Amino acid sequence: MIELNNLHVRVGDAEIIKGLTLSVPSGEVHAIMGPNGAGKSTLAYALSGREGYAVTDGAAKLDGADILALAPEERAAKGLFLSFQYPVEIPGLSAIAFLKAALNAQRAARGEAPMPAPELLKLLRAKADALRIDQDMLKRPLNVGFSGGEKKRFEALQMAVLEPRFAILDETDSGLDIDALRIVADNVNALRGPERSMLVITHYQRLLDYIKPDRVHVLARGRIVASGGPELALELERDGYDKYLRAA
Amino acid sequence: MIAAELPNRRVEAWKYSDLRAAIGGDRIARLEAPTGATPIAALATAMSTGETRCRFTVGEDGDVWTSELFHDTGQVTKVLAPVGTEGLLVENLTSIAYQNPSDGPKLSAALTEIVVEDHATLTRVVQQRSWSVIDADIVQLSEVRVTLGEGAKFRQFVLAEGAKLARIETHVSVQGEGAEVELNGLYMCHVGRHADLTSVIEHKAGAGQTRQLIKGAARKGGRGVFQGKIVVERGAQKTDARQYHHGMLLEDGAEIFAKPELLIHADDVQCAHGNTAGGLDESALFYMRARGVPEAQARALLIEAFLSETIPDWTPPDVRVEIETRIRTWLGGAP
Repeated sequence: MIELNNLHVRVGDAEIIKGLTLSVPSGEVHAIMGPNGAGKSTLAYALSGREGYAVTDGAAKLDGADILALAPEERAAKGLFLSFQYPVEIPGLSAIAFLKAALNAQRAARGEAPMPAPELLKLLRAKADALRIDQDMLKRPLNVGFSGGEKKRFEALQMAVLEPRFAILDETDSGLDIDALRIVADNVNALRGPERSMLVITHYQRLLDYIKPDRVHVLARGRIVASGGPELALELERDGYDKYLRAA
Repeated sequence: MIAAELPNRRVEAWKYSDLRAAIGGDRIARLEAPTGATPIAALATAMSTGETRCRFTVGEDGDVWTSELFHDTGQVTKVLAPVGTEGLLVENLTSIAYQNPSDGPKLSAALTEIVVEDHATLTRVVQQRSWSVIDADIVQLSEVRVTLGEGAKFRQFVLAEGAKLARIETHVSVQGEGAEVELNGLYMCHVGRHADLTSVIEHKAGAGQTRQLIKGAARKGGRGVFQGKIVVERGAQKTDARQYHHGMLLEDGAEIFAKPELLIHADDVQCAHGNTAGGLDESALFYMRARGVPEAQARALLIEAFLSETIPDWTPPDVRVEIETRIRTWLGGAP
């Protein structure tokens, strides 16, 4: 469960998030929708602990514990996962080596032994198959020369392997064609469960046809200005954000 | 040759690597060397003895040749790869200094002359490293001069860890049609270390190909130098040459100097080059940390990934393991 209370975030001199309060109980999937510049990605980066995204006020708790004082890697080890809008290319580092480092670092932080290599390989293969990721791609440098859709599939693969407690999916639908969107959504849905919560950030309603949220929140000018059920997303798709921008 | 003839930084080709200052005067003045030779060739020739002058013909003398060059030695090696043969040359330049710095620098110089005849392939791996038990001076110099026949191939990988001054020069003359040159290299310099990878590739015949990828990393007080010149002469039409150098400055006080040069005198060629120097990619670092990898480990993995890209696919597996181990050791802070 993630609880955000009166969160304020500055990037440089500008305050982008201006008192955001939101909680996503375990087992639920919430969507945040909003126009460009509303602060959606800023929220994602601030929660992950990216440098330059300064939380100046408010609180963020994961399963009751404050995360704002933690380094990004410590937040990850506690179970926070960000699926990046723009996954980063890492030349020279294979997807396998990357995932091995990530998984074993998280295990070490939790006091667990590293996963034996054969077991890890088996796990990666199974998860890659489910996402229809070619095995050969696991050996290629991470995200280098991948299409937009392939990058997003790899984000989903990482999420499936790391099994986070709370996942933020930042514009997961961008770059995906309709078939890939369905595959990624199926895999995200397979991870839904009573022990996990998710925050799906999206500009369009389309993604929410496949990953059905329990709640939808509208983010405008740094605040949640409306919340409702899935029908709110349909209303936004029909009427746009104007009403909320005027209200904010 | 006398010390005064050693190039200092006012000589263009040596402006980032002041050989005269690094070696100092007295001992060199006693050496005699042919006039007209390049500084490294002159030193290697003057310092070599009967035991360190070798000839090697691929096929007749085997296909793999390993040479070990220690300090206070000059070495001259002549290698011939006859028509259609394939050979591997491994050169290790190693120096260990125990002595007091006031004893003067430990110097080694190697000259390798390679003729690759038509449709032959010669592969060369150079590993330069130095250990200073105390803060002693080591100067290591190496120069290779390669001529390529028709359809011949020369492939090279250099790993340089630097010394007080370490310079690995590569000169390739493409004399036959359709010859291929592949020059990869890697330098890693920590405090007090200076590594210089300098190359000159001259395309004198047409339809040749050059692929050059050099990368390096420097820490505080370390200095990396890349000088790469590619010349495409008037008659060398359909030449395809690509040169890339990327340096990573890991800390304040690290230095990387790069001087890429493309001189193209033919009109029907493809040439590309790129040269960058900068720090670690902060977005990649955050990406790894957001996946749970601690900062120090993430930095090491990213630098290792950056540097490892230069290791060619053809590298023999045991050599690859050795190079990767040395990258990790260097990243771990050990010299």
